[in-house]
Amino acid sequence: MNRTLVYLAMAGSAIILQTVLLPLVLPGYNKPDLLLVLVIYLGLHEGPWRGGLLVYLLGWSYDGMAGTFPGLNGFVMLGIFLAVRGIVTRVNTESSPLLLLLVSVGTVLQTVMAAFALDFFSQTARIWPQMVLQLPLQLLLNFLAALVLLRVTVRLQRIFMPRRDLPGLRKLDSRYGS
Amino acid sequence: MWEWWCKNRPLLLGGVLLLAALLWYSVSLRQQDETNFMESLVLRATGPVQVAFDRVIKGTADIWGHYLYLVGTAEDNRSLVEENRALRAVLTQSDEVRLENARLRLLLDFKEAQEMATLPARVIAEDASSWFRTVMIDKGSEQGVTEGLPVVVAEGVVGRVVRSSPRFSRVLLINDASSAVASLLQDNRARGVCRGQGEQLVFDFVLRQEEVKIGDRVVTSGMGGVFPKGLVVGRVESVDRQEFGLFQSIEVTPAVDFSHLEEVLVLLRSPQ
Repeated sequence: MNRTLVYLAMAGSAIILQTVLLPLVLPGYNKPDLLLVLVIYLGLHEGPWRGGLLVYLLGWSYDGMAGTFPGLNGFVMLGIFLAVRGIVTRVNTESSPLLLLLVSVGTVLQTVMAAFALDFFSQTARIWPQMVLQLPLQLLLNFLAALVLLRVTVRLQRIFMPRRDLPGLRKLDSRYGS
Repeated sequence: MWEWWCKNRPLLLGGVLLLAALLWYSVSLRQQDETNFMESLVLRATGPVQVAFDRVIKGTADIWGHYLYLVGTAEDNRSLVEENRALRAVLTQSDEVRLENARLRLLLDFKEAQEMATLPARVIAEDASSWFRTVMIDKGSEQGVTEGLPVVVAEGVVGRVVRSSPRFSRVLLINDASSAVASLLQDNRARGVCRGQGEQLVFDFVLRQEEVKIGDRVVTSGMGGVFPKGLVVGRVESVDRQEFGLFQSIEVTPAVDFSHLEEVLVLLRSPQ
């Protein structure tokens, strides 16, 4: 329960950052998708039922602040979560480079799934050319955001919880000598 | 069979869950024009935090801009005095035009259009995603803001309200891909539909034989039932008239700078 609340608080902070703070710093409309990073982390470290339900809920909440298509992000986030769950037994989930790689792959998957759901199911004009054009910059932004988040989380852990391990950050932590 | 089921169960269950999510999304699209419970809840929950952050950031920027960073203020002041003088001259001329206009209106027994009630609102947040173009404003259904109401600024059309909760609403900007505004060219009255394309707009369904020039002003036609007639949408940026085909391709630059939206006006009564 505590962990779920922490995840919800993190998702809330991500939404506030993306809607209020990051638009002031970054030019244009592009901003990193911090919720995607959280969904991939959940895919690596949470079970299918609890994680899946939480991710679907987060996706629906995200729809409240992004676009006008209810359920779009619920579907996309759940798809990314299930894709990560599909490979989780074959990879080392403690590796932080893996998280960075999955964020990049997840960004591409997110664009493909959203373009499919929008162009085949909604009455909106063709949006996929716009999405494809934005993809390289989005990839870069998401990768950098994941890198910064990893470093900040490790530092915060060393300051506030020096005796506890965070799942997925143990290897990175030991590399920094704590 | 049982062995096959046990082996592929995670994959099949995942597929079923994903299909269910896709079906639910498809069903939800039917109520796309209304604010659902979840969206209302998110607007209510995040709105106050966004307002607080917005105030802190703008307050800090204000203190920095007005009290700490005063380099170039004297130069700005001098140029503003000159600009003020020039504007006064223009104002004197426009007063003449206004008086003449009033006389002509009386002569033609022109029934002046009833002024619409407006509600000023502050933009407090942008869209969370990079793909869509929406903004959140600090007025909601308690102040009379409902889905479908047009939103404008002095320069022209901003968009329309798509989601509203008691104290906050979300506005779909006209440059979003899912936005369409019934418009016409101010000079030759050629009709069409302005669609969003990220940064620019495209003016669709203008017949090939219509004479369109770069720089022509595009205004709302009042046909869509959302925006009143005559609001500025933008200016023609490029025209591509193919040898064949029924319509021409026209790109329009929006009149409003969406990257610097701070205050907007919600038109509370839609045109009949």
